Amino acid sequence: MKKYLIFGILIISFIGRLAAQEVQFTGSVSSVVETGEQFRLTYSLNSNGSNFIGPAIQNFLVLAGPSQSSSSSVQYINGRVMQSSTISFSFILQAVQPGTYTLPPASIIVNGKKMQSNSVSIKVVKGSGNSSPGNSKNMPAAGGNLSENDVFLKAVPSNSNPLQGEQITVTYKLYTCLPVSMSGIDKIPSYQGFWSQDLLKEKDKFAQYNEDINGQKYIVAEIRKVALFPQKNGKLVIDPLQVTIVAQLQKKAKRNSFNDPLFDNLFDDSFFGSSVQNVQKILRSNAISIDVKPLPALNRPADFSGAVGSFTFTPFIDRTTLKANEALTLRFTITGKGNLNLIEKPAIIFPPDFESYDPKIIDNISSSASGVSGSRTFEYLVIPRNAGEYTIKPVSFSYFDIGRNTYVRLQSPQYTIWVQRGESTDPLSNNRGTDQEDIKYLGNDIRYIHIGPVQLSKQGDFFFGSTLFYLLLLLPALLFSIIALVWKNQMKKRSDIAFMRNKKATQIATSRLRKAKTHLTAAQQEIFYNEISLALWGYMSDKFNLRLSELSTESVHEALHQKHVNEEIIDQFTETLHHCEYARFAPGDKSTIMEQIYNEALNIITKIEHELK
Amino acid sequence: MKNILILCAFLLLSLKLMAISDAGMMLKGNKAYKEGMFSQAIACYQEVLKKGVASAELYYNLGNACFKSNDIPSAILYYEKAKKLHPDNENIDFNLKVANSKIADKIEQVPQLFIKRWWTALFNLLSLDSLAVLSIASFVLFLVLVSIFLFVSPLWVRKIAFWSSASFLLLSVSSFLIAQRKHHALIAQKEAIVFTPAVTVKSSPDENSVDLFVVHEGAKVMLLDTIGTWQEIRIGNGSEGWIKAVDTRRI
Repeated sequence: MKKYLIFGILIISFIGRLAAQEVQFTGSVSSVVETGEQFRLTYSLNSNGSNFIGPAIQNFLVLAGPSQSSSSSVQYINGRVMQSSTISFSFILQAVQPGTYTLPPASIIVNGKKMQSNSVSIKVVKGSGNSSPGNSKNMPAAGGNLSENDVFLKAVPSNSNPLQGEQITVTYKLYTCLPVSMSGIDKIPSYQGFWSQDLLKEKDKFAQYNEDINGQKYIVAEIRKVALFPQKNGKLVIDPLQVTIVAQLQKKAKRNSFNDPLFDNLFDDSFFGSSVQNVQKILRSNAISIDVKPLPALNRPADFSGAVGSFTFTPFIDRTTLKANEALTLRFTITGKGNLNLIEKPAIIFPPDFESYDPKIIDNISSSASGVSGSRTFEYLVIPRNAGEYTIKPVSFSYFDIGRNTYVRLQSPQYTIWVQRGESTDPLSNNRGTDQEDIKYLGNDIRYIHIGPVQLSKQGDFFFGSTLFYLLLLLPALLFSIIALVWKNQMKKRSDIAFMRNKKATQIATSRLRKAKTHLTAAQQEIFYNEISLALWGYMSDKFNLRLSELSTESVHEALHQKHVNEEIIDQFTETLHHCEYARFAPGDKSTIMEQIYNEALNIITKIEHELK
Repeated sequence: MKNILILCAFLLLSLKLMAISDAGMMLKGNKAYKEGMFSQAIACYQEVLKKGVASAELYYNLGNACFKSNDIPSAILYYEKAKKLHPDNENIDFNLKVANSKIADKIEQVPQLFIKRWWTALFNLLSLDSLAVLSIASFVLFLVLVSIFLFVSPLWVRKIAFWSSASFLLLSVSSFLIAQRKHHALIAQKEAIVFTPAVTVKSSPDENSVDLFVVHEGAKVMLLDTIGTWQEIRIGNGSEGWIKAVDTRRI
């Protein structure tokens, strides 16, 4: 789309070729050109000359030239006649490489005298490559003398030292003192490191006003305004904006006398003597350096996500009592001025039993010349699936308040939601049996650390292989061997005693019997019987290793029985013992009875001895 | 004599105090972990380790703290160390599994023969100290039963005592042998964890040799041989190669 700006500006140009003329031969060229740009190099002579020798042109492409044009005029002023003629030689060149180049002087012969022009220097900067030859077709052959000060583009930031996230505006102003039409914006800067938003709508009229700079009157048009939000801190550079304009260089020529046929130049097609030249020019604004300060780290809320400006936070819930499987709407509206587009959805933790969806984001953001403002609404739709009482924890929104220079944290209230049982068409109790849900795993994490008492031991030091270990292993073995040894000894000893007693039993018994025999007289019958019973019991005691206290007819019987002594003999033995007891008190001839018992005892011992062998 | 007694008492007391300070440092680490200050918890646990003491729980907690501060290779290293001391702890196994799921390499384990699996299971069933205690206890039981066999007269009692004593002897000897192997494995440190983000495994201990494959940090490798600064390794799927010893830390 092309837009035209027309400025009515009259330029009265005085053509300095009057009065006492001095011969001048000058070379002129625009001092700064872009690579790829076509420009004109002109050498003009205010006299007649011949044999023009152009400079050796290196580093530039010569597209055309030298082409000669001449003009002459005769003027009458206050009765004086002034005549002037001009010859100009022009080259059309194209810059190739950036750099600064100086062209040597050109020469011409005027009235048989050789004249040298000045040497011209040209600075070639890297261009956008936009000025293609196609563009230049539109460009009428122009004088190329549109100066830097006539039309220029300026970028003005509202604040070159903002905080990160703070809104700034950059206004691109076109300063001109010529009628200018803008054919369009060629290159929009990328605004690297910023989030940008155009503030001026296409349909809006550009604001225009007058401004004086160094006494020069300019018409200023704000052609573009951008709201920028720095996304990182540090030095950020905004590239220049590039536009192409067509300026109308208007020359009011003097009404010439009719006697000079060459009173005007070839391209001057204007009526009543004024001439208009369309000059195309590429304008670049200045690059802006913005120094972005970081947001203070002090007291930064944990949920701060980069919102900077001034905002209000309005939570809304449509109801707090509802039935299961009905929908619930939660709305959080953030209204204010600042980087609204960059505000992220607040972190809400819904109860796990709630079915929740990503929020719908409703923007009502307007960008006006003063900046970006409006509101952003996050609308959550949640559906509780089961009855019960649930709480939705407070939702917070934090931003950095530019005006107050602090962080502000706004919070919604805690909502308690009562969910009643749903419609009977979908009763929960019926569902339970058939439609069981799997347990949902919400996350995955390691298990918690071990809390509680800990047995620390030296590294590389283990119970196994330690001295204590071997000690504990060997000690029972040692103990066992000692016990076994002692036991064995004891056994041996005991068996030795028994053996001795066994061996001597008969001997003792016979000696006792022999002793009893010495008391066979009636008077000593008490001692006799005593000796006999001692001999018998003692024999048993020794023979079977029984203690005296254990002796009884039963124990003796048993002991004999165990040794497989004939039952008859056992009976005989007990009988003898009984006889011995009875005989003490029995009436009759004591001596014969005593004799009889003595024989009996002797007999039974011999028999048992025999039996045991 | 009295002086020696006092000295002994002092030594015992200082030992006790040292133990208390270590436990206190560990509790401090636990507290920091609870409050979410994981790097501080790591520092506390490392402090305890620096004193030359350790326990499976300490390694476990340290592994957790490392995991939480996103140092997965260290977490795996400490879990493995904990597992070595307490092979039967379920929590260690679980967390090790979680940590292993976060590393770059997914190394398929070579399926083992069932006998080997059983052996490994048996090997890992009890910790070294439990095995030592088992060995001692079964040996004592063996002796008791032998005594019964020797000194008690009824024949059936002696029969039972004989066979059970024989089985306890077997248990004691086998647990002793397993414990010995385990002890050897613990001291020898035959496994390691890769700590360099990506390591190219070479075919021989030489920079100019053929690149075989790449292992990433957190991978567990078996150490087979060492030549100079190079180590021969085997990864879980059976592939072998050589890497620099500095790229790994031994378990």
